[in-house]
Amino acid sequence: MLVRVSLDHVTKTFGSVKALQDVSVGIDEGELFLMVGPSGCGKTTALRIIAGFYKPDTGSVGFDDKEVNDLPPYKRNTGMVFQNYALWPHMNVYENVAFGLKMRKVAPSDRVNRIKRVLDIVRMREFAERFPNQLSGGQQQRIALARALVIEPSVLLLDEPLSNLDAKLRVEMRSEIRRIQKELRITTIYVTHDQTEALAIADRIAVMNVGSVSQVGTPRDVYEYPMNAFVASFMGEPNMLGGRIDSISKESGLARVRIDESLVLEGRLPREFSTYSNGDKVSCFIRQESILGNEQSEQNFQAKVTEASYQGQTEHYTLELSNGSVLRAVGFNPSAGPHVVGDTMTIQLPAEKIMVLKE
Amino acid sequence: MIGFDLKNLDTKAFMIFLVIMAFFTVFLFYPMAYVFESAFVVQGKFTLVFFELLFTDRFLTEALRNSLIIGVTTTASTAAFSLPLAFLCVRYGFPGKSWLQGLLLVPLVMPPFVGAIGLKQVFARYGSLNLLLIDLHLMNPANPVDWFGGGFWGIITIEVLNLFPIMYLSIAAALANVDPSLEEAAESLGAKGATLFRKITFPLTFPGFFAGAIIVFIWAFTDLGTPLIFDFSKTIPAQIFSMTQDIETNPMGYVLTIVTLLVSVLALLSVKRYVGLRSYEMMGRGQHVGKRETDLKGWKAAAASTFLILIVLLALIPQISVILTSLAGQWFQTILPTQYTTQYFETLVTHPVAGPSIVNSLFYSGLSTIIDISLGFIIAYMLARRRFPGRDILDSVAMMPFAIPGVVIAFGYLAAFSRTPLNAFINPVPLLVISYAVRRLPYTLRAAYAGFQQTSVYLEEAAMNLGASPIRTMRAITLPLIMANVVAGGVLAFSGAMMEVSDSLILAPQDQYFPMTKAIYALNLRLTDGAYVASALGVVGIIVVATCFFIANRLLGRSMGELFRAGG
Repeated sequence: MLVRVSLDHVTKTFGSVKALQDVSVGIDEGELFLMVGPSGCGKTTALRIIAGFYKPDTGSVGFDDKEVNDLPPYKRNTGMVFQNYALWPHMNVYENVAFGLKMRKVAPSDRVNRIKRVLDIVRMREFAERFPNQLSGGQQQRIALARALVIEPSVLLLDEPLSNLDAKLRVEMRSEIRRIQKELRITTIYVTHDQTEALAIADRIAVMNVGSVSQVGTPRDVYEYPMNAFVASFMGEPNMLGGRIDSISKESGLARVRIDESLVLEGRLPREFSTYSNGDKVSCFIRQESILGNEQSEQNFQAKVTEASYQGQTEHYTLELSNGSVLRAVGFNPSAGPHVVGDTMTIQLPAEKIMVLKE
Repeated sequence: MIGFDLKNLDTKAFMIFLVIMAFFTVFLFYPMAYVFESAFVVQGKFTLVFFELLFTDRFLTEALRNSLIIGVTTTASTAAFSLPLAFLCVRYGFPGKSWLQGLLLVPLVMPPFVGAIGLKQVFARYGSLNLLLIDLHLMNPANPVDWFGGGFWGIITIEVLNLFPIMYLSIAAALANVDPSLEEAAESLGAKGATLFRKITFPLTFPGFFAGAIIVFIWAFTDLGTPLIFDFSKTIPAQIFSMTQDIETNPMGYVLTIVTLLVSVLALLSVKRYVGLRSYEMMGRGQHVGKRETDLKGWKAAAASTFLILIVLLALIPQISVILTSLAGQWFQTILPTQYTTQYFETLVTHPVAGPSIVNSLFYSGLSTIIDISLGFIIAYMLARRRFPGRDILDSVAMMPFAIPGVVIAFGYLAAFSRTPLNAFINPVPLLVISYAVRRLPYTLRAAYAGFQQTSVYLEEAAMNLGASPIRTMRAITLPLIMANVVAGGVLAFSGAMMEVSDSLILAPQDQYFPMTKAIYALNLRLTDGAYVASALGVVGIIVVATCFFIANRLLGRSMGELFRAGG
């Protein structure tokens, strides 16, 4: 029972706040789709519209080819995992998981089997008699997932499911969620503010900003080929140098950008650059990890190390170019170091590693 | 604040809102408006002539002065009592503390005027105390002291003894709520002992302190039963009561009702404003690092226990003397009864007024509690879960009965509905039930609202997400989670209705409709065995109410005290 979900020109306003503005996305059957963005970008609103807790002001929500705008949440057959898990404190684990099946009038014998199976999947079989307040955060999170999965939902909705867990457990649970999702092949929409989480598990990512979708693509796509400055800066922490376009080469998709009198950088434009022209204000984004260890290139600079921080696996530097521009750079040890403060080095920056983007 | 546009209007919620407002319009605004009109309008013209009359009438101004003095003195005395008591109980541990703390709440199970009947046995001119003093040759038998000061000081004494637990609960809760890190910060800067208390701790308890003070003040200021028992008619409520006799012809009853209302509302508003300006709760609390409770040892522990025992004994004098009176076969001109009997309890069963009054009270209170629970639940649900225009209005209207004294509502009902089918002189039951319900609605509303607030909306959404309709969700998730709150609020509303005095005294003119409190009042007027039968009935009331409190306490745990503090 694979379902395709679509938002078609959806707009939602709360009072004077535009939570969603003309959002259109399609989520494919069996896909693990991540919605990511800073707080207030509308990702949770979008999820709640799909769950049916909000109605769109305009536009439509579709499950396969059926419009579900007016379908109440309890008839949508979505399974939702809430940020705070929302486990019912007056029911034990078994009763929590059984609830959705009871609502669907699943026969008791069938019910028992399905609950056992789902508790096995989340590895919580032996906790069936416990009450939520007797479980750790990670365990509660597994039960919340089991409760949503047991009804075999058409769509699984996850609202910041890992934000209440500690860092280590987060990493463990996110691959767990992907494992289960792939095993059961449920169309899944997952909301998070954490871009590393999104990159790590998504089939596709929608990057959202102030109520609209900035870009949809695979993790590699949105990270390496961001369509605008927001996506580039939200995914990762790249260096950013502002300037104006000097010239554009339409054949190669490269542009020369003047940062100041003494510095001109050649970088690559996004795939779609028809709106870019000479004199435009742009930013040059350089990923921290793409500065060190490049092949010989025509574009190279002398840089002075002003800060150096050894972090075991990696080495972090702050570099100053001769014009005063500051770049932060990261490299894996042992090849990245050691350099000490005061050292000068030559850095190679091929145009391919510099992303030229407009707001 | 989220704005409202017609397209997104929650129509169902708005309709329910209108229905509820209609109820309040009929049973709250209309009677009040009627009273105002009768007091201010003569032959279609606005006039202040009756108020001039009030302030030139020496008898009435004295009554007003008396009532204000009763209110203020009671408030000040309960505060003086409760502050050291609360500090002792919150900050120190000593033997017997939990028992004694529980006993401190006992006075709440009885309205002050029932205690007054008992108190008269002990402190009257030839009551137990004076007889004891005469026996000890400490007093001249020919000229015993009048402890009640003509009734006036008797009223204040009984109000203080009965109402101080409310003050105590408020202050104790406020004290327990003070963030220890705030005190620790002051200590680290060099404040300690009395300075710490005066500069930091005490000011931080102000919101709770004033919330308690206002309840005590309004209660004492508007108490009708106690002055009647002491036969002290020079108070405003007693005057209002006597003016119900000629409610059709005498405008002064309306004027006094308005004065009572204005004083209460003004007092409440000024306190609310003051407390509102000093709402400290918004500030985050530091991590709770253990309680600041010191265990007392040796003579200090003994002193603390003794102090508390003395206060408990003092507070229980009215209750104990009511129980003694109800069991006294012979108690005339002796320190303690010379014979004991259960005959008055037997009388209750056969007595034409007493017996039925118990049934009446249970019936009226039961009905009013059903109204309170349903209405309180619906309003709490609306306030906590729905967005609709008028939400703030509903919030303040539903809590209004806190500020409107019983005597005001009762007088308003009696007057406003006199020419309608609800006329209390024909059949007082509907108005009695509704007045109980309106007066106690804040209890159930608060309790249910607290329940909704403690229950995350996500718990409900999770159920809907898994296929439960809104009704199913309410039944399977919301209700079970807030049931304890709702029932506890209901139990308190019920016991409150059982103890309701002003409404009962004013709204039930005929014997066969008497609720218990009115029966106690009426029986006490009988010369022969009046006080004894009245006390026996009072004891029945104490048992019912004490049972209610016990249940509510079990259901709500420690938070029961919060419902008494209330205040909005």
